[in-house]
Amino acid sequence: MWTRKGCVCVPETWTPVARSAITVPGPRSVVDGWEVSTRRSSAALRLSDASPLAKVSVRADPDGALAHALGVRFRSSHRRDGILVVGSGPGEWLLVGGVGAAHQIAEQVRGLAAGDFVTAIDVTHGRALMRLTGRDASRALSKVCAVDLSDAVTPEGAAFRTSVAKLTTDVVRDDAGAGTGEPSYLLHCERSSGQYLFECLLDAGMEFGVEPSGPTVDGGGA
Amino acid sequence: MIRIPCPHCSARNSAEFRHVGEAAPRPDPSTATPEQWRVYLYERSNPAGWTTETWFHTMGCRRFISVERHTVTNEIRSARPVGSTGPGPAEALSARGDAGSPDAGGQA
Ligand SMILES: [Zn+2]
Repeated sequence: MWTRKGCVCVPETWTPVARSAITVPGPRSVVDGWEVSTRRSSAALRLSDASPLAKVSVRADPDGALAHALGVRFRSSHRRDGILVVGSGPGEWLLVGGVGAAHQIAEQVRGLAAGDFVTAIDVTHGRALMRLTGRDASRALSKVCAVDLSDAVTPEGAAFRTSVAKLTTDVVRDDAGAGTGEPSYLLHCERSSGQYLFECLLDAGMEFGVEPSGPTVDGGGA
Repeated sequence: MIRIPCPHCSARNSAEFRHVGEAAPRPDPSTATPEQWRVYLYERSNPAGWTTETWFHTMGCRRFISVERHTVTNEIRSARPVGSTGPGPAEALSARGDAGSPDAGGQA
């Protein structure tokens, strides 16, 4: 818990603080146990850090009970009860939910397994997650990603793993999560490469006027 | 650039894959002679023409796939999950032309 003494925040008791692999310039604040940038952008193209969101990696039989219960196959995604279920590989899913919800999501998944062998692992602190939103999001992303991002091939909800800026990345077309009616992509990669991918996307988006922004706290668009 | 129609992911740049090599039937370990193992491990026919090889989609589905490739023209006439004889689950998807220009997916 934090108390304000003058203009300095001092912890009354020691509380662990998590940090994203991505550094966004601007003022910082601790929200839900994460030290995040409070910088916001209203630019036409925004790249925001979404790393604090809960991320759970799930492996199971692609034709088993859990696959059936999740109702999402490889290459697609679906949002249910505030949790984005991404079919990130054959027999492999990525679940993205609100900050701090990872254990609850993992338990929920195990409950759906109906006795089948499944693994559900909290990878929140092992991965980086970012969101690119704006009218020119597809054009900017196309500079570092070879998959056709046209609406016909990669419609809302499409998910795939591919090379983005030569980095293995899970990409989800998730306009609904951004909630602005613009094209929006979630990009998920290893934590150690998070800052690199963030910088690459800022570089690719430069000609479209991209601006970085900190995580949005209200569920972060999961 | 070689475009490989991954049966799981659709057509992708070969840079997303690891080339495992020419596919050969694995001899039965309980009856194979050392000579048969040596041939299995090290000898390749390396034809100038059609060959069946294994590729691993490192940056995609992380599955091994079996690819028929012409070593002179790099034409690919089939790609299916290793061990399967039928078409892959995404056979139809390869027709819709994912994977854009040769230099996209670049930088770095
Ligand atoms: Zn693949």
